[in-house]
Amino acid sequence: MLGVDLKDLVPKTVVSLETLGGKSIAIDAYNALYQFLAIIRQPDGTPLKDSSGKITSHLSGLLYRTANLAEMGIKTVYVFDGAPPALKEVEIKRRMQIKEEATIKYEKALAEGKMEEARTYAQMTSRLKDYMAEDSKRLLNLMGIPWIQAPSEGEAQAAHLTKKGATNFCASQDYDSILFGAPLLIRNVTISGRRKLPGKPVYVEVVPEIVELDKTLKTLGITYEQLVDLGILIGTDYNPEGVKGIGPKTALKLIKEHGSLEKILETTLKDAKFPVEPQRIREVFLHPRVRDDYKLEWREPDIEGVVDFLCREKDFTEDRVRKALEKMTAGMKETKAKTTLEKWFG
Amino acid sequence: MITSISILVDEATYDITPDGMKLRAMDPSRVAMVDFEWPKTVFDEYACDAPTKMCLNITELLKLLKRAGKDEAVELSLDEKTGRLQVTISGKYTRTFNMPTLEAAEEEVPTPKLAFNAKIKATTQGLREAIEDAALVSDHVRIEVDPEKLVLHATGDLMGANIELKKGSDALLDLEVKETVKATFSLSYLNEIIKTAAATSDIATLEFSTDMPIKLDFQQPKEGKLTFYLAPRIEVE
Repeated sequence: MLGVDLKDLVPKTVVSLETLGGKSIAIDAYNALYQFLAIIRQPDGTPLKDSSGKITSHLSGLLYRTANLAEMGIKTVYVFDGAPPALKEVEIKRRMQIKEEATIKYEKALAEGKMEEARTYAQMTSRLKDYMAEDSKRLLNLMGIPWIQAPSEGEAQAAHLTKKGATNFCASQDYDSILFGAPLLIRNVTISGRRKLPGKPVYVEVVPEIVELDKTLKTLGITYEQLVDLGILIGTDYNPEGVKGIGPKTALKLIKEHGSLEKILETTLKDAKFPVEPQRIREVFLHPRVRDDYKLEWREPDIEGVVDFLCREKDFTEDRVRKALEKMTAGMKETKAKTTLEKWFG
Repeated sequence: MITSISILVDEATYDITPDGMKLRAMDPSRVAMVDFEWPKTVFDEYACDAPTKMCLNITELLKLLKRAGKDEAVELSLDEKTGRLQVTISGKYTRTFNMPTLEAAEEEVPTPKLAFNAKIKATTQGLREAIEDAALVSDHVRIEVDPEKLVLHATGDLMGANIELKKGSDALLDLEVKETVKATFSLSYLNEIIKTAAATSDIATLEFSTDMPIKLDFQQPKEGKLTFYLAPRIEVE
């Protein structure tokens, strides 16, 4: 599990994507691409590849999911990570280690003919390579979907867009968006549908859910700054381990009792250890590096351009690609034509 | 009338006061809204001591109400202690259902702020047929009202339709027009709204302005009120 583990503390509202027609969503691009890479695989765990052996799972996910959302009238903007803050080193090393271990286990399972196991480990080895982000940006340009290069964390930039009202929601699987101050986070946007549980041969129906910052704070009875402190106690991408022995419930209790992280560290948790100073982690969440020089414009897809790229270069099936793009165009037209009563509420 | 509400929402919150019950709800895509009132005079018996809100799964309630035959009596009573609604249908025999109430929505739906330039009164049946005609060829319809007539234009991928209701015709009872208005609406919404409203209403009053929402008011027996608002479509091509 990446990101801060707030799932037992925050109130969530299940939502159907159909009701979000006309709304815009800033999607944490790496988070989404990573999901596509992990999920879109053949039964033995091999990702989709073009004839030259380059992986295309991310492009498949990006095309069909974006087109599908556009068909429902949902406008998407993808936010790509820039340079990670120096603080993130620990987490990045940890993830690399997990992947290296998974790769060894994958090869072993494959050699032993254990397909189900091989697939599970293969999913854990998913790595985003630079060419994947480049491919994805090229596809988005052809599809007429805007994307933003964040100066640092993509999630922080997506949260910033939502805070500023440039988008209605931000989408990520991680709750970190809430710590970055996103007023509305929507989870499971890029993976909704029937999904296999990681590591288990069990299928579940994944439905999108909305997390509201205001409602979360009200429910927990704390301020936004206190929520960030709480996150740091449980563990974030900058201190993945959190404070030993402190789970979400204990963290909430401590924050309510003492008011702030400093007070807790002075009293109850004098011996707590952090890979970096907790104040610096807090600073990343409260004042992340973001940019304001973005422009969000949605154009109709360049159908021939997408077909050239995906079908000629990446060996996608032309019929399926065209069908997805046609539905996307029709959906965008329909969205332009539709108005809602809210416009007249004054 | 519950059917009319059920075409827009699955769950709805009733405002219950000593004077009667009312409800206002918007469909999830916020294109249409229903405004409904049943004053206590509509009921054979009505008792409410203090105002309360009651949120129900309309689809489930409808299933129960449909079990009542024409001459059977239906009694609804809310047990505030258990939070359950009791539905008793009696006539040929007596059956008592109970269903849960849900957490009431906090937000109130506001009334759209609209100034109308045209008002028509028509038979609900006449409108229903005109809308069904248009629905044969397209999924949306442009409605134009001038001082002489109401015209529906529908253009589909293959076919087109032009439907005129002239002043003084059987279907069009009255026409008040300040200026000619034009607006386009989704036929699936119009069709559902008028079809269900026709079950309890013979006469409808429609109000329009150019590219503004339409207000459809369906005259109810006794003093009930059933009004819909439907947002227009903006022609892009």
